[in-house]
Amino acid sequence: MAQHVTNVSQPEEVSSTRRVIAASSVGTLIEWYDFYIFGTLAKIISEQFFPKDNPTAALLATLATFAAGFVIRPFGALFFGRLGDLIGRKYTFLVTLVIMGGSTFAIGLVPGYKTIGFFAPAIVFILRLLQGLALGGEYGGAATYVAEHSPAGKRGFWTSFIQTTATLGLFLALGVILVVRQSLGVETFTDWGWRIPFILSALLVAVSVFIRMKMSESPLFVKMKKEGKTSANPLAESFKEKDNLKMVLIALLGATAGQGVVWYTGQFYALSFLQNACNIEFVQSNMIISVALLIGTPFFILFGALSDKIGRKYIMMAGMLIAVIAYRPIYTVMYNEADLKLKTEIVEQKKVEVKSAVKGADSLITTITTKAFTDGTSFKETVKKKFPADPALKAALPKDKMKPETKKEVTLSKDLSIKMIGLVLIQVIFVTMVYGPIAAFLVEIFPTRIRYTSMSLPYHIGNGVFGGLVPLISTRLVEATRPGPGLPPADPLAGLWYPILIASVSFVIGSLYISNKTNNLDVE
Amino acid sequence: MSAIKKIFGLLWAAMGVGIIPLVIMQAMKEIAAKPSEENYIFWSIVIVVLMPIIAFSLITFGVFALKGEYDVIA
Repeated sequence: MAQHVTNVSQPEEVSSTRRVIAASSVGTLIEWYDFYIFGTLAKIISEQFFPKDNPTAALLATLATFAAGFVIRPFGALFFGRLGDLIGRKYTFLVTLVIMGGSTFAIGLVPGYKTIGFFAPAIVFILRLLQGLALGGEYGGAATYVAEHSPAGKRGFWTSFIQTTATLGLFLALGVILVVRQSLGVETFTDWGWRIPFILSALLVAVSVFIRMKMSESPLFVKMKKEGKTSANPLAESFKEKDNLKMVLIALLGATAGQGVVWYTGQFYALSFLQNACNIEFVQSNMIISVALLIGTPFFILFGALSDKIGRKYIMMAGMLIAVIAYRPIYTVMYNEADLKLKTEIVEQKKVEVKSAVKGADSLITTITTKAFTDGTSFKETVKKKFPADPALKAALPKDKMKPETKKEVTLSKDLSIKMIGLVLIQVIFVTMVYGPIAAFLVEIFPTRIRYTSMSLPYHIGNGVFGGLVPLISTRLVEATRPGPGLPPADPLAGLWYPILIASVSFVIGSLYISNKTNNLDVE
Repeated sequence: MSAIKKIFGLLWAAMGVGIIPLVIMQAMKEIAAKPSEENYIFWSIVIVVLMPIIAFSLITFGVFALKGEYDVIA
């Protein structure tokens, strides 16, 4: 295996290294925050910019969701990776930060579809692509920059701080959204309050840019440049030379693909499962995930540090294997804990409230049913029926147009909520095992002259494509088990087969072909 | 160990080749059964993005492994 990275180990440089880590991590965290607020607010953004009755806008919505994650991120990895290997790490990931922050801030200012028509989805689509491009360039730069400053034998530990940023970015996004939503109320938040998390990004990015401007270039890159050893064509060198292509493939198939699906399952799929399969109420489901993320975050550093002692491979492979074995049992417990069919209802506490209102030419009948259960769980079902107030028009309306809109919300007791946090936390720990050491692993298998380019691509394909497709493919697998429209799926856990399959293949390839001797290598 | 790596190399390459007709046939079957926009988008993403990455990487990786290129990574 290629073995490269020289160390900066003098004690007087340790405080400088800490500054490097702090500055790099804060910027990367903000980039993840920017990327996730779009995803977390996808439903509201869709209503504001991508109306369903306009097919082109709806198509753009789909592309904005998927293209930024799949196509643009790896492209950003190639574009900025090449730039980082040619002109340096510092300026490249400063540029990605500015592009990401600028795009996010701009999304918060774009007038809605009702105001500027088709320009609204078109502008948001372009800004979202810029976000994907910037994210593709950011991570490899930050990981490379920190690793090239790290003291000997501590590369796993130091780069693990960069590894915390994706999870903390998601936590920050969920936290800011929850606080703004709770402060303004749901209606105001849906109307204009959703813009605040986007606009807030400008402030965060400005602080981060100020800090990054004061940083110096990676010492290894400076040395290499002085010696005239930089690559003339990092792309060709990374992917056309057999020795490097071999490493790119092993990094993708044996590490980042498995890491990507474990990462997305433990965080995004868990949230989606709580909200859609278990019908857990919005605030409670977000709180469960947020608390689990916060408690789990120090484990990134623990496993990063441990990888310096026992090697990157063992920890990453153990994380994948345990995840593969444990996913179905964990999700079975999660599903059962929220399953109302397994609970005893306190019948005398059942309430049904019916409200009717006329809005313009439409009548709206809202039926709210609330139930309480002996274990402290409560359930609220809101059924909204909308139809023309004019009886003649109502009679002429096809039945499928009068389909009621139903919203189910389960609120768990405090004890069950804590149990759910524990179940999600176990998954977050799998994430920290596969993700904590991976930056150091990727840095160590590629030489300095093409490191930024070579490590960015497998990372973003593994994380963006294999991981990013978890929600889409898993939802599809669950839908395939649904016996008919409106009926519950026969196997609500079928969605787990995709991450289980990918992580299994990655585990076998990683176990067979990856060396565990990468820790403490000289990186040069 | 080298022999196992090579045997598995054959398996990865075969998986990479096999996945192409498998995915295309499944897509055709599902789209024919329900030619909805949702189906087109899903299968377009799988066929245009995911399948080529899996097929190319598995085939190339498998061939390298079969040739003993990974034997040195002990």
